[in-house]
Amino acid sequence: MNVLSVRGLTHVYGQGTSSEAVALNNCSFDIEKGELVGIIGHTGSGKSTLIQHFNGLLKPTSGQVLLNGKDINESKESIVQSRFKIGLCFQYPEYQLFEETVAKDIAFGPKNMKLDEKEINRRVLQCIEYVGLDKSYLDKSPFDLSGGEKRRVAIAGVMAMEPEILVLDEPTAGLDPKGRDTIFGLIREYREKTGSTVIVVSHSMEDVAKLATKALVMNKGTVAMYGSIDDVYSRADELVTMGLNVPQITRIFMKLKAEGLPICGNIYTVEQGVNEIIRLKKEGYSL
Amino acid sequence: MIKDITIGQYYKAESVLHKCDPRTKLLLTIAFVVVIFLCKNFYSLALMAALTVIAMLISKVPVKMFLKSMKPILPLILLTAVLNIFYNTGGEILLSFWKITIRDKAVFTAIFIAIRIFCLIIVSSLLTYTTTPTMLTDGIEKLLKPLDFILKPTSFRVHTLAMMMTLALRFIPTLIEEIDKIMNAQKARGADLESGSIMQRAKALIPIIIPLFVSSFRRAYELAFAMDCRCYTGGDGRTRMKQMRFTYRDLLVFFVFALIFAGIIVLNIKFLPVI
Repeated sequence: MNVLSVRGLTHVYGQGTSSEAVALNNCSFDIEKGELVGIIGHTGSGKSTLIQHFNGLLKPTSGQVLLNGKDINESKESIVQSRFKIGLCFQYPEYQLFEETVAKDIAFGPKNMKLDEKEINRRVLQCIEYVGLDKSYLDKSPFDLSGGEKRRVAIAGVMAMEPEILVLDEPTAGLDPKGRDTIFGLIREYREKTGSTVIVVSHSMEDVAKLATKALVMNKGTVAMYGSIDDVYSRADELVTMGLNVPQITRIFMKLKAEGLPICGNIYTVEQGVNEIIRLKKEGYSL
Repeated sequence: MIKDITIGQYYKAESVLHKCDPRTKLLLTIAFVVVIFLCKNFYSLALMAALTVIAMLISKVPVKMFLKSMKPILPLILLTAVLNIFYNTGGEILLSFWKITIRDKAVFTAIFIAIRIFCLIIVSSLLTYTTTPTMLTDGIEKLLKPLDFILKPTSFRVHTLAMMMTLALRFIPTLIEEIDKIMNAQKARGADLESGSIMQRAKALIPIIIPLFVSSFRRAYELAFAMDCRCYTGGDGRTRMKQMRFTYRDLLVFFVFALIFAGIIVLNIKFLPVI
């Protein structure tokens, strides 16, 4: 069941002016319900432009975005609905916080949905839990929190709309490795608990390999590859020409495989690599 | 979208006016404004209009750009012209119907004022088209430099003011980009910025203004630290990498303007005043 379909999506910035630039060129793909898709691409490949079409922030020059089979740009009402059904969390979302308390800020989205107070409270409590913060944070000012905590509050603010699809643009940009793992952990947990579809934009191949079930590679405004992690990452040479790189550990194991070692599947993380080496050792290969 | 607003209207081109010292351009623009108000008849006004057109042509800025900057003022010019035609009571009657009489002097005044305003707009746009904002503030700084003598007992200098202006101009595009980002983020959370009563719309701006203020303060602190780190201490004893110099070109421009000014005085005396 496709929850989101993109059909021939093209977007041209500043059409008819001297600074005309084609940001997206005839993109088409489907995203299935419950999937965790990683969108990867070099800077300026059109990732951010693409996701701003998902909830009608940008209007396509041509082509369609279908949510559950319906064009989101059909009417004003359908655009408003798409904003609630597709939760978009931008890069550095902590800069969007504005309320006096964390609770009020998380409630901003649900309030715009005109839900009743009881439901809003339920969502606020649930989302603060999703992002792994204590309930005592709810009465604090969002401006008194640390950078990582602010970001989690901002993500909770988008989750509180309980969108069918959660889209996160570079959710870990500017965080330390520990903060990055925390964010990834809570995204994974959120998906397991709610069963919703998640799209994560990143330029890190490592992160996408760790997190996603499918990868979509953008290059110069077009969809260059779309498929399972194994399919996409096995085309390492093509990725390099797009300014992307498969994880170091994957490259090492690809070389080992080429040397004739019987390596099972593809290796994307160091843990997988360690386990594979232990397995090979047990089978009596000398490394 | 909000990005499309153009601020800082410098038009890059190679012309005498672009190469002139910003101080020359500033002073002559002020002088032009004064002199055009001294014009008393159509002969002297024609001389100023000719000067305006010639300056416009040698600046190599497309005429289209000037028309664009005149567009928003057009209703104002029309309004003053119309009011003049109906309320001026001097001269002979040209036309009279119902309760309205139109006199020849009124028509002359209306045309006179319209031409004067057109010239003023063209010349002031010429200044901003041919001078970058930084050059302009540098010029103002240099021109106001003598004021430092009065400011001596305080820590404030003319340079401080100029630096503030330069920085403010520098951050306009950055802040526009920031507003765009915040607006998108709040729209993604269902904020409705486009409908409702005036009060509702004003309220809807709060989620945009507060993050904008917070990030502006953050940027200001960061910039202040960065300037401190590069040992910036303010105006006293500061030198420039690019020195402004008056050249023969500026001298020539001043000379031409002085000639025209003399011409205006002669024409004003020789012919009868219109207004």
